[in-house]
Parts: sequence; structure tokens; C-alpha cells
Amino acid sequence: MSEKPRGDLGRVVVVGGNGFLGHHIVNQLLSPSWTTSFVASVDLRCGRNRNPGAEYRECDITDSERLQSILEELKPDVLIHTASPIAANHTLAKELFKKVNIDGTASVVEACQKSGVKALVYTSSASVLSDGVNPLWNADERWPVIRGDQQSEYYTETKAAAEEIVLNANRQEPYSLLTASIRPAGIFGEGDAQTLPGFYKAYETRKHKVQIGDNTNLFDFTYVGNVAHAHLLAAHRLVATAKAVTAPLDHEKVDGEAFIITNDAPVYFWDFARAVYYASGDRSGTKGTWHMGKEIGYFFGVLSEIFASILGRTPTFTQLKVTMTTMTRFYNISKAKRVLKYEPLWTLQEGVDRGIQALIAEKQAAEK
Amino acid sequence: MGYLYFLLHPSELRSIIQWKVYHEPPHRRDESKEGPELKECFRLLKLTSRSFAAVIQELNPELLVPITLFYLVLRGLDTIEDDMTLPLEKKVPILRNFHNTIDEDGWQFHESKEKDAELLEKFDVVISELKKIKKPHYDIIKDMTLKMGNGMADYVENDEQIKNGLQTIEEYELYCHYVAGLVGEGLTRLFLASELAHPKLAERPALTESMGQFLQKTNIIRDIHEDWEDGRRWYPKEIWSKHIDKWEDMFDPKQRDKALNVISEMVLDALKHAEDCLFYMAGMKDQSVFNFVAIPQGMAIATLATVFRNPDVLERNVKITKGSACQIMLESTQNLFVECEVFRRFAREIHNKNDPNDPNFLAIATQCAKIEQFIETLYPRQNPDKLNASNKLKQAGQQTADPGETVVMIVVALLAMLFMTLLMIGTAWFFGAQFGNMFEDWNFFNPSGWLQPSAGAGAHEEL
Repeated sequence: MSEKPRGDLGRVVVVGGNGFLGHHIVNQLLSPSWTTSFVASVDLRCGRNRNPGAEYRECDITDSERLQSILEELKPDVLIHTASPIAANHTLAKELFKKVNIDGTASVVEACQKSGVKALVYTSSASVLSDGVNPLWNADERWPVIRGDQQSEYYTETKAAAEEIVLNANRQEPYSLLTASIRPAGIFGEGDAQTLPGFYKAYETRKHKVQIGDNTNLFDFTYVGNVAHAHLLAAHRLVATAKAVTAPLDHEKVDGEAFIITNDAPVYFWDFARAVYYASGDRSGTKGTWHMGKEIGYFFGVLSEIFASILGRTPTFTQLKVTMTTMTRFYNISKAKRVLKYEPLWTLQEGVDRGIQALIAEKQAAEK
Repeated sequence: MGYLYFLLHPSELRSIIQWKVYHEPPHRRDESKEGPELKECFRLLKLTSRSFAAVIQELNPELLVPITLFYLVLRGLDTIEDDMTLPLEKKVPILRNFHNTIDEDGWQFHESKEKDAELLEKFDVVISELKKIKKPHYDIIKDMTLKMGNGMADYVENDEQIKNGLQTIEEYELYCHYVAGLVGEGLTRLFLASELAHPKLAERPALTESMGQFLQKTNIIRDIHEDWEDGRRWYPKEIWSKHIDKWEDMFDPKQRDKALNVISEMVLDALKHAEDCLFYMAGMKDQSVFNFVAIPQGMAIATLATVFRNPDVLERNVKITKGSACQIMLESTQNLFVECEVFRRFAREIHNKNDPNDPNFLAIATQCAKIEQFIETLYPRQNPDKLNASNKLKQAGQQTADPGETVVMIVVALLAMLFMTLLMIGTAWFFGAQFGNMFEDWNFFNPSGWLQPSAGAGAHEEL
């Protein structure tokens, strides 16, 4: 990254700053890329992913009183809210999603307003434009947010609800808080608990020679460092807007806006998988790959679900998995490039190499 | 190609017949209005160009003669540059002064030993025809002749580069600029002068440049073997030295994988121009001009797909088949939408041949996808206004086209299949079949182990 700082962000608090995305944001804030006067993470648990340059406060964000007293103590100019539970086990975790994503975000917004925070950047998800069934072709911010009954993923519903709370709080009288939302798509990298470990495990257990569908479906995977970078660009623009005497013109407005963030490089789904397998050590190429048609995939998915329910097990292969791997879902990030001046700093390949190296190092450390 | 070949490849034969039967030229030359000197120019055109003669002769009458003459002037320059029997002190002044030579009545050149020497021997007809075309067209041709002549002279005087070959990608692109980028520039200016292209193209010279770069790079990649036999190399060292130690290794069968990786990186480098090329073609306002620019582009992306990860390229000249060429010509003489489908088809062919062990695997996949994404921006298949309208209806609880119906259909069909399966298994069991422990091995239904519930509601979910 460039040696010359990109700008001054003042005092910054990262909610969820010990999490996957959050700690990348903390690290970038403390790197020479940005000027800051103070950086702190507020997280449920602050034991992991620490940076010696940051301060840490443990807090459950749904505990409004405690959160507010922390913000009053830290007096941040900028707050970046990345906290969210891992989107797994959705049936069991429904309550948790609602509590953290919706109630927690409402609590963060309120605390920001009451403690005089100038800029709030929220981590949403590009999935808010997807109903989980139909494809997305080059979708941008003009596409509708899918809510309620149309939204098949409850996790995504709670992310969309939270984003709405955040964006509605922009310039909400009598407060001067400015807000923006970042919608990353398919985030992966060092510290990732889902995407890269999932593919890595498939390779490790030698289940990587299967391809469902014809591999023409384009999908966006985004390196976490680029997502972190986009948050800081948005925060910086919000701070600049807060200082400005006049309101920004519509085409350069950041406050009250949502921005889709990708690596600006949609890719064929299974090609990304193969690049991860290669980085993990696979040298078998495409030879010996079993191509399973999408329809066959659904058929097995249904059978697997039925037999699993008969046997009382959790199905390991489901229709949803077939959908996720054969779905076209890619985005157009012209808005972020134009308004935030966002450009990815790392290519997909660099992201995969960094992420897999970290994953392998982590596994080796755990074995010792 | 013999009868047997077409018997085994009927679709190729079909494309050839279709091209011959269905291709209706947008314009035809009117020979009755041509004088003997112009007729001679067209004969020389057919003599010196196999690929361009046909499309040039179908051009709009406004540009038919100017582009024919432009082609012949450039071909003349090229013939002098390529002639190894001409000493430098003779060659360089001719190249640098060629823009004045095209004004000299009766100029002929009889010292060339090149295969197109006849053009130079009869060059006076080109000169006299040049005097008859419109002034703006003539000025453009003269200006481009000056630029190209000097570019070629600079090149032939650059001993070091000729001896050691191109080093950097920058040098490689500069070379392509002189031999193809400038041709593109001249053509774009001719189209604009005749108002047959969108005026915005004048503000975007990078698009024109990409058109030439894409064609020239493709030729260079494809002609590797022929150039090697002739003792020439146009692949820049900056690219090949990442994979092999010395250029000869490219043709060493033991290092085939590395050589293919070099070609891959060259293809990747060429593909970065594809989006610009499509954008440029969107600016064509005349069918004949569109055909003229789109055919070579369609051929180029098809050629890239043919040479990509193809070891034959290192042993002989590889070309697209005649049937495939006819199909591309047919598709490249319709409209931009059809041309985009050509680009998409060959981008996917490259993607399908892509090898995960290639160091540029992901970059190539991404570039192919970028081409698809660009086509999507030209011809979006989703309309946000319509999506918003139908989403509003759905949110309000009204049914639009019933998506639930398909789900019900699928469920019914699957239940029927399940019922039949169970019935068959049950019957088999009833008649004494032994199933043993065949259902123990559940892994069959979980062939892709990463699809564990712990991998989440989708591996791509955020946070």
C-alpha cells in the first residue's frame, strides 16, 4: 500500500474489531495508509485478532447502556459497525440473528447519535439484493432489496433490516450523524471461518473432484482487505461531508447511501474453488473431475434430505448447496468506483494466496 | 480439405454453404464506373490481401476507394520494410519519405524481391488514384503514411532490438502500435470524416488503439512457430522469462507445460483489449463499416481460443477451420449483439480450456468473466425498474407470475419419482433381493465434502 496516508479519520471505534472483517479494518487503520488519533475495538470478546496499537473494550452491543457509556468515554469521530454472528445453522440461530443484527444495530445507532459520533459505516451484505433463488446479473444499487416473505434467508433479512435502520438514521434530526452502508459480496481472506476453510476441507478430504452444474455461473468473491479498505474510504468521505459547509451533490453523496463492494472481478464459481485447491496444494488440475448436472444435483439433494430426515441426521448435501454453487450472482460496482473512488488493492489471486497461507499456518500451529 | 473431412464435420460444411448462400453484401463495387487505373488498384488489392480484399470491396461507396488506397499504401510500405535485400541506407530514406512519394506522378520501384513486389512495380496507379479522392480522405492517408513510415524506419534502425528481440511489454505494445494501432487510427479517422462512425470515438483514441493491438497481438501469438523458423521473435521477454530461461526452451518438448503457460499469459495480455473492441464496434453507424471491423475481431477471438493451451502452435501453423471461419463471418456481419455472442462463446471456450496449474489460471478466468460482464452492461438481461415494480407487488402480497407453481411441480415430480423408486425397491425386496448394508456409505450423497452445514448457509455469506 502507498506510504502517503490517504487521509485523517480522527478517533475511530470498530464494533466487532476482533472479528474476521473487523480486525482487518483495525489493522488498516493503524497502518501507514491512514492517519488516526485513536483506534479501539468494541467486541463481545476481545481475546483474538488483537493489534497492539488498538484499545479493546468488551461489550455486548445489545446492552445499550454499557455501549453508550463506552462511546461517551472513547468519544469516537467515526464508528464502523461490523459485528454480526456467523451465518450458519440458520434455523437454530434465528433469534440470535435478530438480536444481534437488528436490535444490536438499533442500539449502536442510538449510542452513536447520543454520544455525538460524526460518521457511522455499517457492514451490510450484497445478499440483500438476492432472494436466494433467482440469479443476479450484474446487479447494482438500483436493484430492489428483497425483504420479508420474498427473502428466503432469514440472516439476510436481518442484515437488510439493520441496513435500513442505519440509513434511516442519516441526518436524522436532531442529530448530525452521517451514515453509509457497505455491501460486500462473498468475503474471504485471512481469518475467514467459512469460504476458504470450506473449500480447503473439501480438498483435504479429497472431495474436491466434483463439479455441480456447467461452471458458467459467475460469482463474486471479495478479498477481506479490499472490503476493509472500502469501509475506510466511506468513513473518510463521511468525515469530509461532516466538515463541509454545503451538502454534497447527488452524484457524489456518500451519506445515506449503500455501496456494493466486490473485487471487481466476477469469476466462474468452480474456477475460484480450483484456484483455492491449487493454493492448498492440489496439482491434479481438472483431470478426473466428476461433472454432476444441476438437475442431478437437485435430485441427490432431495434424496439426501429425505433419507437424512428418516435417519434423523443432518443432511450433508442439500438442494440449497446445489443452488449456491450453480447460481449466477454477480454485481456491478460502478457506484463505489465513481463515488468512493474505490479500487481493489489486492487481486483475487493475491487474496487466495494470503488467505490459504494463513489458514495452513493456523492449522500447523494448532497441531503443535 | 477433402470430402471425407466435411462428411465427418457436417456443421462446417453447413456454415460454408450458409455463408456463400445467405451473405448479402451491403454494397457491391460498380465496375462500370471504374477507370482502368482503379480496376488495376483492385487487382493489386486482391493480389496482396487474401483476408481483407473481400470485406473492403463490400464497403460503402463513400469509403471503398479511400480504404483500398490506404491499404495499398500501407502494403507498399510494409513490402519495403520487410525486404531484407535492401540495404538500410537505402531502405530508411524511402520509408521516411514515403508520404511525399505518394505525390510523385509515375513513381515505381523495381528493386524489391518480396512476394508483393508487383505492387511497387505498378505503384503509379495508386498515386494517380490518390489524387482523385476527397481532400480530407487524402490528408488522413498522407498523415498516417508519415507516421507509419517513420515508425518502421525507427524500428529497422534499432539494431539492438532486432538482435535481442522485444524486451518489455511496453516495447511490444509500441511495436503493435506502429504496425496495427496506426492503421486503426487511420481507419477511424476515415470513418469519422465520412460520418459513418459515432463522433465520440474521436474522444476515445484508446478504443481505436485496442482494436489494432487485439488483432496484432493475436497474429503474433499464433505465428510463433513460423516466426521462429524465420529467426524472428515478437513475444516480449518480460512475459516469457517468467516461465522459461531462454527462448529456445519454448520449442523443447520437455518444457511443453511451461511453453503453454507462456502462451496463456500472452493470450491473457491480448484479452485485456476485448472489452474496448466491443465498445469500439458499438460506435459503427454503417453496416458495411461494421462488417469491415467486426470480421477480423471475430476471427481474432476465435484464433485466441484455438491457440490457447494448444501445443500444436509450437510445432506448426494453427488456423481456425474454414467452416468455423464462415460461421464467424456470418455472425460478424449482423449486429453488435450477435458479435457479442461470438465473443462470449470464445471467452467461454478459453475458460473451459483453462488449467488450474497455470500460474495465470485465476487471472484468465477473471478476464473471461470480465468480457461476459461487459457484454452484460451492453445488453443487460435484468432491468432494475421492472424488478422494482414486481418486487413492490410481491411485497404487497400480490402474486405476479407464480413462482410457487414451479416449486409445487418440482415437488410433485420428485415425490412421484420417490414413490416409484420405493415401489421398485419394495417389489425387489418382496421377491427376495438382498440390500445388505448398501446405505451405510453415505459419502456417495455427499461427494463434495465442503458442503457441510458448518460451511454455512452458503460459503459466500458475509461475516
